[in-house]
Amino acid sequence: MRSVRRAWVRGSAELSEGLRIALGNLVGAPLRSALTTLGIVIGVMTVIAIVAIVQGLNASFEAQISTLGANTLYVSKFAWIAQSRDLWWEMRNRKDLGRPELEAIERESIHAQAIAPMAMTRGEITRGDEQVSGVQLIGTNAQYLTTGGGSVAAGRFLAETDVDLSRTSVVLGSEVAERLFPGLGGEAILGRKVVLQGKPFTVVGTLARQGKLLGLNMDTRAILPYTTFLRDLGGKRSLSIAVSAAAEELPALEDELTGILRRVRRVPPEKKDDFSLNRQEAFLRLYEQLTGALYRVAIGVGAITLVVGGIGIMNIMLVSVTERTREIGVRRAIGARRATILLQFVVESSLVAALGGAVGTGLGLAVAQIVSLVSPLAAAATWSAVLLGVLFSGGVGLLFGLWPAWRASRLDPVEALRYE
Amino acid sequence: MQEPLITVEALHRHYQLGGETVRALDGVSFSIDRGEFVAIVGQSGSGKSTLMNLVGCLDTPTSGTYRLNGADVAGLEDNQLADLRNKEIGFVFQTFQLLPRASALANVELPLVYRGLSRRERRARSEGALAAVGLGNRMHHKPNELSGGQRQRVAIARALVGEPSLLLADEPTGNLDSQTGEEIIRLFGDLHARGHTIILVTHEPRLAARCPRAIRLSDGRVVGDGPGSEIAALGAARAVLG
Repeated sequence: MRSVRRAWVRGSAELSEGLRIALGNLVGAPLRSALTTLGIVIGVMTVIAIVAIVQGLNASFEAQISTLGANTLYVSKFAWIAQSRDLWWEMRNRKDLGRPELEAIERESIHAQAIAPMAMTRGEITRGDEQVSGVQLIGTNAQYLTTGGGSVAAGRFLAETDVDLSRTSVVLGSEVAERLFPGLGGEAILGRKVVLQGKPFTVVGTLARQGKLLGLNMDTRAILPYTTFLRDLGGKRSLSIAVSAAAEELPALEDELTGILRRVRRVPPEKKDDFSLNRQEAFLRLYEQLTGALYRVAIGVGAITLVVGGIGIMNIMLVSVTERTREIGVRRAIGARRATILLQFVVESSLVAALGGAVGTGLGLAVAQIVSLVSPLAAAATWSAVLLGVLFSGGVGLLFGLWPAWRASRLDPVEALRYE
Repeated sequence: MQEPLITVEALHRHYQLGGETVRALDGVSFSIDRGEFVAIVGQSGSGKSTLMNLVGCLDTPTSGTYRLNGADVAGLEDNQLADLRNKEIGFVFQTFQLLPRASALANVELPLVYRGLSRRERRARSEGALAAVGLGNRMHHKPNELSGGQRQRVAIARALVGEPSLLLADEPTGNLDSQTGEEIIRLFGDLHARGHTIILVTHEPRLAARCPRAIRLSDGRVVGDGPGSEIAALGAARAVLG
């Protein structure tokens, strides 16, 4: 027991002695220490800045994508993400989705909780002299808001009777409403007339502000009954159909929809599906692939700079060992073991590198902050990234300090004491 | 009959230098009892540094035996030698060899760090050792704030603090003016009087003459062993005879 305790006391005393020496050298030669660790500082700074920016992008992307319903399948002619040009052409030539598919799903699906068709086009809305162009016109039904994001700010959303009677009712996105009725807010515009592609419509409600989704302004929407859309804005358009279900029933829903659609569209058993079931997840996956590549590049660049920084540390440590040869001799003479000397130098190189890593982390975060101030990129740093930066550079210091420290520990005490 | 502190028998230390074998020590035998104050004297190249390194457990002999405090040193491994140096030997060097950035106290504590003593015990013992060499009021000074004599006193305190069996001093007055050197020699005399065993390695017959016993080396062999004054005279005679 006593010897264990002694070894522990000795170990911790040697470690704190090593730290004390390392700090002494750090304070004694600050410029040299700074130059030693400069490579590490730059490497860590680069990686932290890139990681912070990518994480910021991820966070804002996830926030945006959540406006697409997480538990919603989007049935469409097109897959959201086309893997190749050929596939895109194949999808383009598919038969349009229309009312037969919608009605079949409404009639037969057990798992569906909400079903909303969507017909879309771009057009302009006018009211007197006010005109808004580039509005995303969406023809849908009363369940649209249940399948996707968004909420009503004033008035009401489309009702089933709007759809059944093909009424000329419209719900305006917040930006469309503001631009058509400048200075008028909320309830004041309900019941007013607007002209949509040359036809008069009645405003029944407005949507709350939503921001952008993947660069698409969600506040320049105008929503009308799909029956009216097909009648007045062109019936040849392919519908997509949003179907939502409880999260745990999504796989079952997927199977069910596939079955219904293949039957309605008369797809022979040997043929592949001539429609696509899209999910929000697909976007996330694509996005993760993109940022994953960026991550890998950042880590590659960071690794190279860290290796270069590590070589810088190794170089200075070798010089330091040579300069302190006599000191090493003295320490050995008064009872330092080889391992003690090794520890001392490894502690020193790790400490210098870890401090460089800390400084680099700080600078990297500052760079990320500046980038997010002057550009639309949002930066978000996580503690794990910071901790990783410091620990990783400490590890680099340890790794590249090992060889010089090993050389120091192998010095013959007699030779070392005699060294001039 | 108590065993001598140091027993050296037929000690050889050979080096390979450019294909030639240099016999730095060529069969040296002697023994030193506890409490002795012995000078090892000889000109440069006589082998006294090599002998000091072996006695100090910094080096191991090519052949022969060396027993320190009853233990055979020849077969020990590096870690065991380090521990032995830490416990049994206090070194005093010609150029003091203090750590420049550490205070006198921290310098003196260092051997105790390597021994694994607690901070409080290190502190208490080191303060005692510094007081014993007359530096009780200089403990927190750095080496460059101390005179040469004071630095050597710090080094002696560092050598004493671990209560070693043997003080091994290599030309301890070589870098000091004669008056300061005299003070240091007197300090060694005091330590001897208090029971410490001291080996003083020097090329100066004048210093050897003041030790109760001296061993003279020449060409790696013992050529004289006796009272310091006689051995010193022998050296002087040799020098005259050429």
